[in-house]
Amino acid sequence: MAEHGRYLFAIGRGIDGETVASTTGLRTAPLALVEHRGLQAVVCDVDLADFGEEALVRNLEDLRWLEEVARGHDHVVRTVGAEATIAPMRLVTILSGDASVRDRIEELHDELVDVLDRVDGRREWSVKAYAVPGREEPGPMSPRGTGSGSGAAYLQRKKEQAARRRTASERAVQVADEVHAHLAQHAVAGRRLQPQDPKLTGRTEPMILNGAYLVDVEHGEAFAAAVAEIDGRTIDATIEAQGPWPPYSFAVLE
Amino acid sequence: MTQSRQPVTSRPYSHAPEYASGGPAPDSLADILERVLDKGIVIAGDIRVNLLDIELLTIKIRLLVVSVDKAEEMGIDWWRNDPMLNTSAQELNEENRQLRQRIEELESGSGSSGGGSGG
Repeated sequence: MAEHGRYLFAIGRGIDGETVASTTGLRTAPLALVEHRGLQAVVCDVDLADFGEEALVRNLEDLRWLEEVARGHDHVVRTVGAEATIAPMRLVTILSGDASVRDRIEELHDELVDVLDRVDGRREWSVKAYAVPGREEPGPMSPRGTGSGSGAAYLQRKKEQAARRRTASERAVQVADEVHAHLAQHAVAGRRLQPQDPKLTGRTEPMILNGAYLVDVEHGEAFAAAVAEIDGRTIDATIEAQGPWPPYSFAVLE
Repeated sequence: MTQSRQPVTSRPYSHAPEYASGGPAPDSLADILERVLDKGIVIAGDIRVNLLDIELLTIKIRLLVVSVDKAEEMGIDWWRNDPMLNTSAQELNEENRQLRQRIEELESGSGSSGGGSGG
């Protein structure tokens, strides 16, 4: 007999039962809705042999396992969140059964309603800006051969290089601030996340801005246009938008 | 108003905005993990996952992974094969090991190796 838990993807309202019925959860388990006091929890069964405490500690270190669960989680959250107001849960939130799901909704009911009110009719966009390499100005060349020997000239060049690097990184900070401030004006809320490491982005240009923006559904196109516009007039950075998706970064309990 | 249709870029699984020329690739694993691992509402589950383990995992992933395929392309496959085969993974594993050890020390209150000997 396999023991099961209930994997909780999201809590929301206005979630369409047909969408849930036609979407699969993790490992082809059917999705279900657990309803309580006007809120709906999107859940599916998971086998505790894989999702129990000890198994999770082991499995979360397995990148393929993690990727499958993460993509499955994201797929469900996006599908049910496309037409409804939802607050996504953190990955691997697992309860013992539907009664326990209802208990949690009961405990957090008012906070959850506040969260859903804040994100109602809004979606999240991600905007990442990457510094364009080699844009920094060459800087004044030091006069060569003026007196002092090659050692001094070498030190002088080193100093200039360091100064240029400093200028470039100051400029990157400035560009990131400007882009974020500009896009925040087109959004209900904006958050700056930690820029991703180049080893992680797989790109050589450093990421200078990793922003998340909460945007009214009907302003989505205008927001995308604002990103394209600021990308077009910013020569020091490449600015890319992704989205929209459910408000992962803005559905947080106070 | 929630009834209005989504903007054109929101077709399910159309990750690349249409206005972007030579647009970005579909969501990388890093992007997905950033969303689902680091975000979302935290409630106490009945299955308790040690957050410290997840933090370490996050450190690892933040540093390393683009996607499984991409990582394999780059020759990073420590999660499947011998980690000793890959230098950067080896360094990272070592770093992780040290972090774990340090956390264990701190947790057991035995971080008493003479305090700040930073130099």
